[in-house]
Amino acid sequence: MRLPTTILLPFLPILTLAADLILQIHPSQHVPNPSLLPPTTHATLHASGPPATAYLTRANTFEFRNLTTGSYLLNVHCRDVVFEGLRVDVGGVGAVGEEEGDEQEEGVKEVGGKEKGELVQVWQTFRGNEWDNKGEVRGVGRGRVAAEVRAVAGKEYYQERSGFSVLSFLKSPMILMALFSLGLIVGMPYLMENMDPETRAEFEEMQKKSPLASANNPAAQLQNFDLASWMAGKSTGADEGENGGSSQVRRR
Amino acid sequence: MRLHALLSLASLLPSALAVFADDAYHVDYHHALLGLPQQHTSFFQQPYAGSKAALIYTLSDKLVLGAVNPKDGHIVWRQSLASSDAIKSWLRAGQGQDTVVAAVGSHVTAWSAADGRLVWSAESLSGPVQDLEIIEIEDSEVSAGPKDVLVLFNASTPVVSRLDGKTGQVKWSFEDESGDAPLQVLASGAGIHYVSLHTTLLGGLKIKVVSLDQSTGHKTDQYSLSSESDLSSVDSILFVGANSASPILAWTDKFSRALKVNIVGTKSVASLDIEGKDGVGIDTISLHAPLATNSMPHFLVQIQTAQSHWADVYHIDLKRSLISKAYSLPRVAGKGAFATSTVDANVYFTRITADEVTVVSSVSHGILGRWPLKATAVPDLSDQPYPVSAVSEVVSRSGSAQAVRSAVLFSNGEWALIRNGEVTWSRPEALAGVTAAIWAELPETESLADQLEIESHGNILAAYIHRVKRHAGDLQYLPGWLQKLPSRILANFSGGSTRRPLDGLQKDSFGFRKLIVVATEKGRMAALNAGGSGKILWSMDTVPLTAEEKWTPQLRTSSGGAIAVHDQARGLSLLIDAATGKLLPVDPHVNSAFRHPSTGAAVVSYSLAEGEVRAHTPGQENPIPLWRFLPATDESILDITPRPADDPVASIGKVLGDRRVLYKYLNPNLVLVTAVHRTASTLSVYLLDSTSGDVLYTASHSGVDVTRKITSAISENWFTYSYTLDVSSSSLSRGHQLVVAELYESAIPDDRGPLDTAANYSSFQPAAAPGDVAKPHVVSQTFQISEEISKMSVTQTRQGITSRQLLAVLPESNSIVGIPRNVIDPRRPVGRDPTPAEVTEGLVRYSPVVDFDPKWYLNHKREVFGIVGLITSPSLLESTSLIFAYGLDLFGTRVTPSFSFDVLGKDFNKLQMLATVVALFVGVMFVAPLVRRKQINSRWQIT
Repeated sequence: MRLPTTILLPFLPILTLAADLILQIHPSQHVPNPSLLPPTTHATLHASGPPATAYLTRANTFEFRNLTTGSYLLNVHCRDVVFEGLRVDVGGVGAVGEEEGDEQEEGVKEVGGKEKGELVQVWQTFRGNEWDNKGEVRGVGRGRVAAEVRAVAGKEYYQERSGFSVLSFLKSPMILMALFSLGLIVGMPYLMENMDPETRAEFEEMQKKSPLASANNPAAQLQNFDLASWMAGKSTGADEGENGGSSQVRRR
Repeated sequence: MRLHALLSLASLLPSALAVFADDAYHVDYHHALLGLPQQHTSFFQQPYAGSKAALIYTLSDKLVLGAVNPKDGHIVWRQSLASSDAIKSWLRAGQGQDTVVAAVGSHVTAWSAADGRLVWSAESLSGPVQDLEIIEIEDSEVSAGPKDVLVLFNASTPVVSRLDGKTGQVKWSFEDESGDAPLQVLASGAGIHYVSLHTTLLGGLKIKVVSLDQSTGHKTDQYSLSSESDLSSVDSILFVGANSASPILAWTDKFSRALKVNIVGTKSVASLDIEGKDGVGIDTISLHAPLATNSMPHFLVQIQTAQSHWADVYHIDLKRSLISKAYSLPRVAGKGAFATSTVDANVYFTRITADEVTVVSSVSHGILGRWPLKATAVPDLSDQPYPVSAVSEVVSRSGSAQAVRSAVLFSNGEWALIRNGEVTWSRPEALAGVTAAIWAELPETESLADQLEIESHGNILAAYIHRVKRHAGDLQYLPGWLQKLPSRILANFSGGSTRRPLDGLQKDSFGFRKLIVVATEKGRMAALNAGGSGKILWSMDTVPLTAEEKWTPQLRTSSGGAIAVHDQARGLSLLIDAATGKLLPVDPHVNSAFRHPSTGAAVVSYSLAEGEVRAHTPGQENPIPLWRFLPATDESILDITPRPADDPVASIGKVLGDRRVLYKYLNPNLVLVTAVHRTASTLSVYLLDSTSGDVLYTASHSGVDVTRKITSAISENWFTYSYTLDVSSSSLSRGHQLVVAELYESAIPDDRGPLDTAANYSSFQPAAAPGDVAKPHVVSQTFQISEEISKMSVTQTRQGITSRQLLAVLPESNSIVGIPRNVIDPRRPVGRDPTPAEVTEGLVRYSPVVDFDPKWYLNHKREVFGIVGLITSPSLLESTSLIFAYGLDLFGTRVTPSFSFDVLGKDFNKLQMLATVVALFVGVMFVAPLVRRKQINSRWQIT
C-alpha cells in the first residue's frame, strides 16, 4: 500500500467536508536544495491501520487529500535527511474553539478555495512525549491547508577510518610528555653551563637538600634495597657499603 | 526535550559503529531488482524532450516502476506501486514528455521521468483502471503543455475520463450506461474511441465502438462490429492499437484460423488467413504495431507454434481502408520475440531468436542488420533460455540499420540488453521475490569437515593412518603454495592489491565465502556466492507454477553440501547440490527429517494449528498433542518465534560493575508467542518452554494497532518485539515501540535461584519447585522508535563471544538497521544517572526514545526494497557475522558488532609498520655505540 490515497473530486460538491494537507519542504541548512532529495522520500500519515503515503512531488511537497477526521502522526522518511515528526489533527478534535481563535491572529494559510472544509491543525510533535505535548504550530486552516515540515539533521552513514597523521600523533599527550622530558635532558646541561657560578652553587645546594636526592627518599630506598643485607639484619650499613665500594673503584 | 533526546543520542555515539566509507559497496552487495518487465509496460524513452540518451522504463509484474540506464543496466530510480487491489497495470509516456503515467489498481500516477518524483496522482472513485492512454494529438484549443491522459475505469458504469496532464484533474468524463463490459480506450489521429464488449444472447461478444468528442467527452458516434460469431472470450482479442495513425482492433476466430482486423472508425472487418505450417497447432498469435502517431500504418503478426515461429507484415491503406499482406518473415525453429521501433515515420521490426538478432524495415523484407547472439552470462541449468519479450531502439542511417539495442526478457528471467548481438548487461529479474533462503557451506569446507568426522569416529589407528594419508595428500599443494608465497607477501605489503578476486569457489581463511541458496515465489532456485559480491552461480526452474501460485518451500541444510527443499503444499521433496545446483537422489530419511523443522533434535516438536500451539513427539504420524497452548479468549496467535537452534552463548552470566554476576536464564527451548485481540487492540506476548509447555512469562500491551506489523526476535537470554500504537489507544504517546526483555535466573546477583544446588534438571517439569521460583526473572524496557519494523533478526557469531546486534528491517525507509545491544539494554537505569559501577558495565541512563543512528544502517546509501526475510550466519572469525536479506531485492553484508577485533582492518598500514621497525632498528644501531661509550666512560672517567 504505497500509493497515495489521494482522490479525484471532479463532480463532488464543494460542500463535502474534506481536508487536504500539503506539506512543503523549504530550503534550509540541512536541505540546501530540496529538489535533490531522493525520489523515494515520502511522508506517512498514521492514525490506525495502514498509513496514508504521499510521495515527494516535483514541487517538493507531499500532498494528502481527502483526510478524514482524526488525529494523525506524520513522519517523513528520507534517505538523506531526518525530518521532524508532526501531529496532524483533522476535524473537531481537541480544543477547536481555542485554535480557531488563534487562527485569526496567525493568519490562516489557506491555499485553495475550499472554505468549508474540515479544520486541519498541524503541530510539531516529539517522539517519546505525551501526545498532547505539542510544539510549534506549523499550519492551521480549513479545507486545503499548507504546512511546513522541517529537516532536523542530515544523515551521515559512513565512518571515516582514523588513518595515521603526524599532527595527531604529535598531539597525543604521551608524545608531548616524552618530547618535554627529552627537551629537559638535552637542554639541562647547557642551562647548567650557562648559569653563573653563584646560581649554580645555589642550585646544587638545593638539589642536595631536595627530598628526591636525599637517602631518606623512600623511592630511592626502595630502588637501592639490598635484600641480602636486610635479611642479615644490617639495615643501615647497606648504603655505606655501596658507597665505600664505589669510592674504592674510584681510588684505583 | 528534543535536546535531551539528542544528548542521549550523542552519549551513545562512541559505541556506534558504522560502515566504513571505503568498505561500503565492497563488503556489501545488492541486487536491486524490479521484477519481470512486461512487454506492454516497457519502452525506451527520453527522460525529457531534447535529451540525448534514452532510459528504459518498465512497470514490472511486481508493480515496481523503474527507470534503467541502458548503458550499464543500473536503476536510475524506482518506485514500488504495490497495491492490494492491483490486477493489471499500465505504463504510458507521451512523445517528448518528461513524465511517465502509470496505472495500478485504481490509482493513476504521473512520475517525473528524469528523477522519479511524483508529478500528480489521482484515484478514481469509480473503480479499478481498465485502460490508460495518452492523448498524443492535441485538439486546437489546448496549446503546449503536458499531454492529457485518457483513463477508462471499470466500475458498475464504466467511465472514460480525460485527466489534465499537468495536474491530474478530470477535464471531462463519459459514463457508459449500456451495461457492456469495458475493454479499452483509444486516442488516435482518428479521435477518441471507447471500445466495449456487448454479450449477445448466444454468448458471443460483439465489439462496440463509441466515438467521443476530444474536448467535451460527448458521444458523437457509435457502431458495433458483427464479431459475435467468432469472438467468445476477451482472451482472443489480440490487439487494440492505440496511438498509431490508424488504430486497429484485432482478434482471432475460435480456432485461430483467421485473424480479423478492423480499422477503428470503419465498420468493415478484414479477415486474414493464418496458415498453419507443418501441420502443428498454433500456440499464440501476437500482433506488434508501432505506437507512434506519425508512423507508417504497418503491423506485424507473429505466429508461434510449439516448434517454430514466423511472422507476416501487413500494410494498411488508409485511404481505401484496406489491409494487405506485404511480406512474410521466414520460419525459424524455436521461440522468438519481436519488437517494434520507430524512427521518424519509419517502422522497424527487430526479431530476436535464441541465436540471432535481425532488423527489418516494415516497408520491405530486406534484412537491414543481422547479428549473431552470444549466450547470456548466467549458467542456467534448466533448458536453453529463449527470448520472451523485447523492446528495442534502432539507429538507422541511409536505409540500413546501424545499430540496434534491445532489452530482452529471456525465459529464465534474465532481462538483458543486447546491443548488436552482444549482451551489454543482464539483470537477474527472476530473483525478484525470493521467499526462502538458506546458507550453505562451500563444498571444500564441507569435505574437510567430513574428513574430520571420519577421523573422530574411527578407531585410533585407523584415524591416525587416515590423517597421515590426508596430510600426505595435502603435500601436493605445497609447491604451488610456496611458489605463490613471494607474490602474496609482496601483494600484502603493496597495500591496495590485498583484495584478491573473490569470484572463485575456493574457501577463505575467514569463512566469508559461503553460498546462499534462494527459492523464488515463481518456483525458481538459485545460488549466490556471499563472498564474491553476491554473484549468481546457478539458477534453474525447479517447480512449474501457474501465474497465481506462490512458491514458499522450506529449505534445510543436509549433509554433503546439499540443500533439502520441501514443499508442504505439493508434497515435494528435493535434494539439491548447493554448489552446482544438480538434483541429488532423495533419501527417505532426509524426507522424514522435514516433519519437525522448528526443533531439529529437540524432544518435542510443535506447530501452530487451528489457532493454538500444539506439541507432539517427533516422528509420530498422528500425534495427540503433548501439550497445547491457547492464548486468552478472543486472542489469535500471530507468530511463534523459537530461539535459534544454533545459538552459542559464551558466558552464562552477566558480570556487573561490582564483580558480582547475574546468571542468565539460558533455556534452549524458549518460544515466544505473540497474540492479538483484534477488537480490544491488545497485544499479548507469551514466553513458553517448548518441552513442558509451561508459560514462563507473559506481557500485555493495550492500545496496539493490531493491523500493523508485529515482529519478534529471541536469542540467548533476551527477546524483543515491536508494535505500533493505535490512535484510539489509552496510551499517552503515539508511534512505534520496541520492547526488550532479558531473562535472569534470579533477581539477586550471585544467586542461581532454585536450580543452584540441583544436580538434575527436568525439561518436562521445570517448575517442580512450588510457586513461581523456577520462572525466570524478567527485566524489560520499552523504547519509542521512529519507524515500523517489519522483520527482526539477531546476528550470529561462531562462539557467541561478540556482543549481538538486533537487526531490524525498516520497510518505510527501505533499509536494514543493526541496533547495538547496549543501546536497548533493559537494565538501563531509569530516572537517575548510572552509578560508577553501572558505567563500567556500559549502561547509560534510560531515555524513552531510541533514534536509529544513520551509522547503524547496514545498507547505508543503498535502498533495499521489499525485504521479507533476514538470515544470519557466523563466519570463521568470531567478530564477524554474515547477513543476507531477501525479498524483492537481495542484499548481503557482514557486520562486526564489537568491531573487527580479530582481523587487521584496512586502516592497518603494513608499510608503515615495516618502516617503524626499520626506523627503530636504525635508531638502535645509532644509539648503541653512544650508550656503550657512555657506560665505559662512567666507569673509567674520574669526575
